[in-house]
Amino acid sequence: MLALLLAALPVIFWNQGPETAVALKQNGIEQMLVPAERLQAWKSTGLVVRGITTAEWSALEEALAPGVDRQVQVASATRSPYLIANGWRFIRNRSAKYRYTLPAGKSALAAAESYAYGADAALQIETADLEPAGKMLAFLRGLPVADLPGVSDLAVVDDQHPLVGEVMNLLARRNLLFATATAPDPRYPINIRIGSKEYPEDEAANPSEFALKIRRQLTDERRSVRLYGSETVLCRLTGDDTRIRLHLLNYRGGKVDGLRIRLRGAFRKGQACSDQIGEIPLENFAVSNGATEFSIPVMNLYAVIDLQREK
Amino acid sequence: MGNSSPEPAYRVVSAYKPSPQPGMPGPFPGQVVSVRSAKCIDEVKDEINVAVVREMMDRGMQQLTGESSVLRAWRRFISPTDSVGIKVNCVGRPRVVSSPEVVAEIVRNLTEVGVKSSQICIYDRFAERLYEMNYGANLPKGVQIHGAEFTRGSIRNYDPATYVEVDFFGEDDTRSEMIAMISKFTKIINIPNMKDHGAAGVTGCLKNIAYGSFSNMDRSHRFRQTHTYSFVGRLAAVEPVRSRTVLQIMDGLRGVWHGGPSALNPRFVFYPKQMMFGTDPVAIDRLMLDVIEAKRKAEGVVSLWDRTVPEGKDRNDPNVSVYIREPGHIDFASTLGLGVSDLTKIKVKEIEV
Repeated sequence: MLALLLAALPVIFWNQGPETAVALKQNGIEQMLVPAERLQAWKSTGLVVRGITTAEWSALEEALAPGVDRQVQVASATRSPYLIANGWRFIRNRSAKYRYTLPAGKSALAAAESYAYGADAALQIETADLEPAGKMLAFLRGLPVADLPGVSDLAVVDDQHPLVGEVMNLLARRNLLFATATAPDPRYPINIRIGSKEYPEDEAANPSEFALKIRRQLTDERRSVRLYGSETVLCRLTGDDTRIRLHLLNYRGGKVDGLRIRLRGAFRKGQACSDQIGEIPLENFAVSNGATEFSIPVMNLYAVIDLQREK
Repeated sequence: MGNSSPEPAYRVVSAYKPSPQPGMPGPFPGQVVSVRSAKCIDEVKDEINVAVVREMMDRGMQQLTGESSVLRAWRRFISPTDSVGIKVNCVGRPRVVSSPEVVAEIVRNLTEVGVKSSQICIYDRFAERLYEMNYGANLPKGVQIHGAEFTRGSIRNYDPATYVEVDFFGEDDTRSEMIAMISKFTKIINIPNMKDHGAAGVTGCLKNIAYGSFSNMDRSHRFRQTHTYSFVGRLAAVEPVRSRTVLQIMDGLRGVWHGGPSALNPRFVFYPKQMMFGTDPVAIDRLMLDVIEAKRKAEGVVSLWDRTVPEGKDRNDPNVSVYIREPGHIDFASTLGLGVSDLTKIKVKEIEV
């Protein structure tokens, strides 16, 4: 495992010298990976460090800097821009270890993203991001532990077909919750095997339209989660027979000023919190017709909502 | 009359019941008072003559109601205990908007009726546009100014229990929620402008109250074939918007004959010098449509009704369009009972000031 003490938290990869230790401590970052050749120098700083060689770093799976790809050369402003998000990678390969190489301004979201999916990830960050990264890690450390399995509405048969990755990406982009499988899984109403009669390759070649087809097959009524008020917030839902945890990730950045959430199933009012904000209320909470709806007035980059199922 | 795509499946969610006589079409279906004045605005200075506008409004309101005084005319719609929302339009700022002079005159009449300033609210969706217009500068202290969205797309100030759900093009967010503040109004006065609209054909009473009172609207026209044809009317018919919108005052002092709803190119701004009064938004819009169409004809450009206009993104070229215009949305609204669109059945009372 890359993470040192708290297995669910991402770890910072820091390739500067020990003279920066004070800045790290000031921002609450007290454990990290450092280049193996600098490990000895770091040991006297009082920080919890582990060395990683260049080869080991390169061997990690790459995760992309998360956010909005505005593609300004080819598109005008849209509410639904292309998002760079790694959730689908984490779902597809849960046992992999990941590395992010992050420009300034991306570390907090990357930390939240990897945490939300339980990914084993290291984040190489810029000096300018020490403060936001430190704050996000502190927020993540303060969350109640909830080691719950992912909730999915459909399955994607991952036979390593070259189109399957982008199909997963666009399913995640539309908040269509999927699990991966090596063969069709009868627990799910929809099993996508690209190249099959029902899901031919030529359709999958347009993954956005393909994801829409899947959405229509599933129907919005049967989706475990719907979000209203933003098309740049992606979710991960985890849960069991007694409770759920909904992770919300804001890829546009800045604050989301109001979000309506619909969950399939009946739940009791619970707790919600967001980084930079703290506890947030669940407003206009209503349970009817087999679904639970509520609003959050605001979230920053990452919000976590814990609810108990009605018995 | 237009539309080439089937009406999508709308699901309207609202706990509000219609009033016995909904404000739209109200007590004067199919009736419009049209007041013109060559003196209402100085085209050279682009300055409104407040005294003339006041006379236009006084005579328009009296003619509409048949009342013997202006005060009695306003009292037909508003009582002192009402909480009044004034729906303005600021899209064509800074010039082609619900004129601050007209808004001020409405507020003056409301206070004459006995409505407290604190019970009057000027509202629009986008706070930035609304505050840019600085309506408060012309209004008594205490009048509220409410923009629902400080951040574009924010739904924080919308009512999650009153919405229209529809999936147009596979967009993820399929809801359009009503501005929450609207539920606090007992009456709404609608102040649209006379404008071309690239997607809806024109924008007047119906579109101002519909798209201006709900969130997440632009999704209806993300592609060339839009859903403005049915969406405008469907939204205007949602309670409590339909019941509480009791008065339509079309501010046609200035207008936009192409490039609307904004007024970025001064070439397309013109001066109809006309106001219309009524309770029937459909009838007023049907007349306004002909005003815009006549101006376009005079300018020698394609008709609003032409569905074969070449596709083009140059908004400064009146002979191309991003979208297929849907002026038939006015007829569609009439099928929902919002008013009368048949020109042969609309009674117009003309006044010259």
